Amino acid sequence: MDPFSAEGELINIHNAFHQGQYPAVIDFDPAALSPENQLPARILQLRAQIALGQSAAVLAELAGEDDSNPDLAAVKALAQQSAGDLESAHTLAQDLAENFPDNGTVQVLAGTVLQAQGHSEEALALLAKHQGSLEAVALIVQIHLHQNRSDLALKEVQAAKRWAQDSLLVNLAESWVGLRVGGEKYQAAFYVYEELASAPGTAAPLSIVGQAVAELHLGRLPEAEAALSTALEKYPDEAEVIANAIVLNVLAGKSAEELEGRLQQTHPSHPLLSDIQEKSDLFDSAAAKYAPRVLA
Amino acid sequence: MQSSPNMLTKFESKSSRAKGIAFHPKRPWILVSLHSSTIQLWDYRMGTLIDRFEEHDGPVRGIDFHPTQPMFVSGGDDYKIKVWNYQTRRCMFTLNGHLDYVRTVFFHHELPWILSASDDQTIRIWNWQNRSLICTMTGHNHYVMCAQFHPTEDLIASASLDQSVRIWDISGLRKKHSAPTTISFEDQMARANPGQADMFGNTDAVVKFVLEGHDRGVNWVSFHPTLPLIVSAGDDRLIKLWRMSDTKAWEVDTCRGHFQNASACLFHPHQDLILSVGEDKTIRCWDLNKRTSVQSFKRDLDRFWVIAAHPEINLFAAGHDTGVMVFKLERERPASAVYQNQLFYITKEKHVKSYDFGKNVESPPMLSLRKLGSPWVPPRTLSYNPAERAILVTSPTDGGVYELIHLPRDATGAVEPTDVKRGQGTSAVFVARNRFAVFSQGNQQVDIKDLSNATTKSIKPPVGTTDIYFGGTGCLLFITPTSVVLFDIQQKKQLAELAVSGVKYVVWSNDGLYAALLSKHNVTIVTKTLEQVSSLHETIRIKSAAWDDAGVLLYSTLNHVKYSLLNGDNGIIRTLDQTVYLVKVKGRSVYCLDRSAKPRVLDIDPTEYRFKLALVKRNYDEMLQIIKTSSLVGQSIISYLQKKGYPEIALQFVQDSQTRFELALECGNLDVAIEMARELDRPNLWTRLGAEALAHGNHQTVEMAYQKQRNFDKLSFLYLSTGDQEKLSRMAKIAEHRGDFTSRFQNAIYRGDVEDRIQMFKEVDLYPLAYLTAKSHGLTEEAESILEACGLTEDQITLSTIEEPLRVPQPIVPTFKANWPVKAAAHSSFEKALLGEVGEVDDEVAAIEFEPEEEGEVAAARDTFEDEEEDVAGWDMGDEINVEEDAEFVDVEGAEAGAGGAEADLWARNSPLAADHVAAGSFETAMQLLNRQVGAVNFAPLKPRFLEIYKGSKTYLPASAGLPPLVNYVRRTVEETDSRKVLPVIPRDLETIANVDLQEGYAAMRANKLEDGVKVFKGILHSILLNTVSSEAEVEQAKKIIATAREYILAMSIELERRSLSTDTPEGLKRSLELSAYFTIPKLEVAHRQLALMAAMKFAFANKNYSSALSFANRMLANGGSPKLLEQARKIKLQSERSAQDKIDIEFDQFAEFDICAASYTPIYGGSPSVSDPFTGAKYHEQYKGTVCRISEVTEIGAPASGLRLFVPGQY
Repeated sequence: MDPFSAEGELINIHNAFHQGQYPAVIDFDPAALSPENQLPARILQLRAQIALGQSAAVLAELAGEDDSNPDLAAVKALAQQSAGDLESAHTLAQDLAENFPDNGTVQVLAGTVLQAQGHSEEALALLAKHQGSLEAVALIVQIHLHQNRSDLALKEVQAAKRWAQDSLLVNLAESWVGLRVGGEKYQAAFYVYEELASAPGTAAPLSIVGQAVAELHLGRLPEAEAALSTALEKYPDEAEVIANAIVLNVLAGKSAEELEGRLQQTHPSHPLLSDIQEKSDLFDSAAAKYAPRVLA
Repeated sequence: MQSSPNMLTKFESKSSRAKGIAFHPKRPWILVSLHSSTIQLWDYRMGTLIDRFEEHDGPVRGIDFHPTQPMFVSGGDDYKIKVWNYQTRRCMFTLNGHLDYVRTVFFHHELPWILSASDDQTIRIWNWQNRSLICTMTGHNHYVMCAQFHPTEDLIASASLDQSVRIWDISGLRKKHSAPTTISFEDQMARANPGQADMFGNTDAVVKFVLEGHDRGVNWVSFHPTLPLIVSAGDDRLIKLWRMSDTKAWEVDTCRGHFQNASACLFHPHQDLILSVGEDKTIRCWDLNKRTSVQSFKRDLDRFWVIAAHPEINLFAAGHDTGVMVFKLERERPASAVYQNQLFYITKEKHVKSYDFGKNVESPPMLSLRKLGSPWVPPRTLSYNPAERAILVTSPTDGGVYELIHLPRDATGAVEPTDVKRGQGTSAVFVARNRFAVFSQGNQQVDIKDLSNATTKSIKPPVGTTDIYFGGTGCLLFITPTSVVLFDIQQKKQLAELAVSGVKYVVWSNDGLYAALLSKHNVTIVTKTLEQVSSLHETIRIKSAAWDDAGVLLYSTLNHVKYSLLNGDNGIIRTLDQTVYLVKVKGRSVYCLDRSAKPRVLDIDPTEYRFKLALVKRNYDEMLQIIKTSSLVGQSIISYLQKKGYPEIALQFVQDSQTRFELALECGNLDVAIEMARELDRPNLWTRLGAEALAHGNHQTVEMAYQKQRNFDKLSFLYLSTGDQEKLSRMAKIAEHRGDFTSRFQNAIYRGDVEDRIQMFKEVDLYPLAYLTAKSHGLTEEAESILEACGLTEDQITLSTIEEPLRVPQPIVPTFKANWPVKAAAHSSFEKALLGEVGEVDDEVAAIEFEPEEEGEVAAARDTFEDEEEDVAGWDMGDEINVEEDAEFVDVEGAEAGAGGAEADLWARNSPLAADHVAAGSFETAMQLLNRQVGAVNFAPLKPRFLEIYKGSKTYLPASAGLPPLVNYVRRTVEETDSRKVLPVIPRDLETIANVDLQEGYAAMRANKLEDGVKVFKGILHSILLNTVSSEAEVEQAKKIIATAREYILAMSIELERRSLSTDTPEGLKRSLELSAYFTIPKLEVAHRQLALMAAMKFAFANKNYSSALSFANRMLANGGSPKLLEQARKIKLQSERSAQDKIDIEFDQFAEFDICAASYTPIYGGSPSVSDPFTGAKYHEQYKGTVCRISEVTEIGAPASGLRLFVPGQY
């Protein structure tokens, strides 16, 4: 039986991870699990630590472990990637992809590392080998969306829906696609995120941001503002909360400088900032081509 | 046979054995005749005993209300029939004649007849108008237990212990007693030769049918209200159904079930049901068509004797050994659910319908739920799932069942649903998009199910749970008899519990933040985390509730619609003539379902609760709005405000002077108090005003109050204490005039005026005192002259030693000149809002002070944008733009693998508008477009706008951990999915610019913050330059805004230039005068132009340029406006007219039309060469051609341009 299925004992920790409730994942006590589920639980916990930016601690913990375990090696690759050691992460990931292409953890984590470094095709090739792993499906969907291939992403989601209709990950992946496709799908995506965000047990930055993003796309600025301002109070340092709050403020015609400063401080490498910087330079060079005929 | 879950007891009384019952046809009253000889009149809705009638001797068995008159009839074991008036509460008369117990009495529905059945084996008809017996029917050979009139025809049915039921024809009696008409021959014949006379020769009432079938005595018989059917109940424990035609009558069927004597039976007035009661302590309900038992209700100890039905509404009453119970057979609350603008509900025919609140129309039936539950039991609840467009319906049949049904896309008629999922459960509600919860009370379990009806999770609810409700997303509310529990399904955890008993319904507010828990007599408002906010009690039963969008709860009781604010303040909104179930509140309309499940709209006046809500939220603008637009004057609202501590607000409502005075004193508003005191001019008001003003230290008001009261002593003392010597001496003079010596003496002492005192003593012949005064103050001469006048010498008098006289202290501070510093009267912000309206004119005047740098704040925006006819050159919307539009769309999605194009690239392709290109990040093409359209060359000032648009174009959606967020593109075409039509959202739409930015600019103008103003208006120009609009009309509006911004920038720049000049040199002064004159030229809002004119006028006047000043004054007067302003203009005009010459000659032709060059600030007269800016249309002297426009700072003056493009038809 799939340990992550609704009846499995990992369902709670698994859902918590994918809902972005990383502290809850770390606090989870794996002692009560059956032996064969101990490792997957531990991997989820390590991944949650990495997601919270504690990759150094993870690397330290893994240093003493057996290197031959592909699962833990995959976690290590992810931790290296997150810590900024891109080169070793890449090598390790490629290595794992070659030697253990059928290991689920390797597929997902090495796939993540490859994609993060821009090797989308390699990542897709590795992930395509999955055997009914929803995580792999979600990752494939995201990569397709990243490549602006919403058609392929949609196909992937619909295929997965046939065998795992109610899974949280499939719902999320469908919402990702929905937010790209637009129209009626915006509302559907909104429902998914709203459901997660409004239940006290599942609320996390991830779901609130998702809800707010859906509201933004639906043009419902006041609602989006309500969601984001509560999120900002609760999670003042979450990159995506700040980034989307900037977008919201701009759309609402308000000043976003304070938030931009905050993002610059907490997440200087956020795509929004680098993107704006790039465009700002582009503007300057483009504007330089024009001048009045007579200088006053 | 099942016991009934549906029999809803509404009222029960405790008494001795109840033998007869009658419903009042209109009022909620029931008459009960008891074995103890008493007749009781109950209000079953309030549960109160209204009256008792005790004149019978022994048990009273028969009782009936008259259908229209205020009277009733009773018959008892004392052989008497009594007719009563319940208004006068007296027995009007007694009909004697029966020779044994009277069993039943009934009024005829239209004739003045009473029908009685008696143990003397007769049935009698009485006329209650002439109080006579008109007919005796004999034939039964045992006690007659019951006799009833047919509801429409001239028939009577009787039941007797002789085991028969008889049907009597009384048409003969009616003919005999109806008003005499021309009698036809046949009638005469019939009268003369009574053909079918009975054995006593009686033709008035003849037996038509004898129904035999019961094999014991028959206790009761009833006609069907419309069909030719009869039902009877007998001691053989059977209920028998009979049918009759004109010629014969026969037994149809028998209902078997009672296991003791059946006492009474009747037909359901509206449904195909028979109801019967018996000594086996049961009430039974039978299907009329199948004669099967539908339901039964059993009492533990009491035998039932009688049953009655309300003629109109769904109510029954049954009498038993220890009293009466009033009950309904089924719930009348229609199952319904509201989602946004739609109501879904189930009609009495069990059809699912929807109702659109926006259009106020009912849909045709969408589904038929005929097969749900049993045919006699209406569905109990309906839960709607918008994401799946599915409904979840529950029915209490068989211990509770639910069905999950998908609604059809279109309402096409009452079709049987396909693909129905069903199961057992007491209640079922949707808890999430794809989950619902089913509660089974029997085994106390909640199952969470998915849409395929498979259980995904089971929860054990708290012990004794009776019902479940939606508890916010992912949560459930468990209702137990004593508490409500909030439960998180995902975590399987109890989040909160609140002790509140007997909750029956839960109504969530529209925003999901609050819920109202309704029990029979209480409403408890809680937050979504189940914290109690407020609670209120109603003596009348609470039926339903719905939330206003503003967060006010409206609820209905049996006879009222009421409201409750979150803080528990409540009140009545309107009365109801029938019970309704509220479903939604929208503005002035309350939507509800009535008992027949028809949507109805009630009009309400929400003013009162909106006002109170505004008060609680301190939303003074709204209050002001309400005060202005509604007639919200009334003692109740005033006392409410006073009670809540807002006398100053109450003051705004009151017209009555006396009340105004009281309120003004209470909130310390002396100005109003003075005004009112003047109006009323009553001494006691002045006294109180004086006392209050004294407490404030407002001695000027105190003075006025004392003056009004002619209270000289106090007035003098007031002057003394404030040090007003002058007025004190005036008081002394007044005292002298009045000849009031005491007062005069007092004033003299206050003033330290010794001479006056001596003089006064002399006048009243108190020479010794006069002498003493003079002497003690060292006025020796005066003292001696007094002695002399008295003819005495110094030796003749003895004086005690005189000490140094007390000097009256001199005032050091001239307190009288001004009031003591008074703490600024506590103007509430509400008053400020009120005063702000009045004060604005003054503020504007203040803005015109000649040194405008020193002004105070000016009240907030008020002006609306006014049209200004100004042609903008260079705008030619007809021109086609020459942009490289892709002739053919390349379908990038054909490729099997590899990356696709981002949506942003599509935007640039889909639109020829510069703003869309900016959002797409294609800055080069955007600049090309702007350059061609409006000759934009200097892009630096547009950078913030470029980046603003670009920043607003994307959102960042976190997805898988470890990867960068997914970037999505925000569209203004929210509904569109065709990639060839999607377009980006552009922040700061035209509406925002007109309503926010433009007003900010005006405010800057009023507040004299010109640098800021220039910045704001330039920002407006830049925002419009990169924008999109949705219609041609908006294009026009955008043009007007551009023109307005241009005029204001020009005007403000001129004035700023003037302020930077020194006026010390003659040239500087001349230029200043010119610039102040030019400041009046741009086409500003009238109020603002007046400011410019005022400044120019005063400046010119001060520099003796009377001719110019005169022309400005004339222009001001022509413009009109605030009286203060005009007053000044008039004064200056008068003075200037005396010598209408300019001292300094300036370049300003007040009679010519001209433009101002926006670069040099000099006039461009008509006919002289000029160039204009392609974007703003600003005019320049020719030498500025090719430079950057001073107004927009972006575009090139005189550049060739095709015109700004903001709109593509069909694009939005």
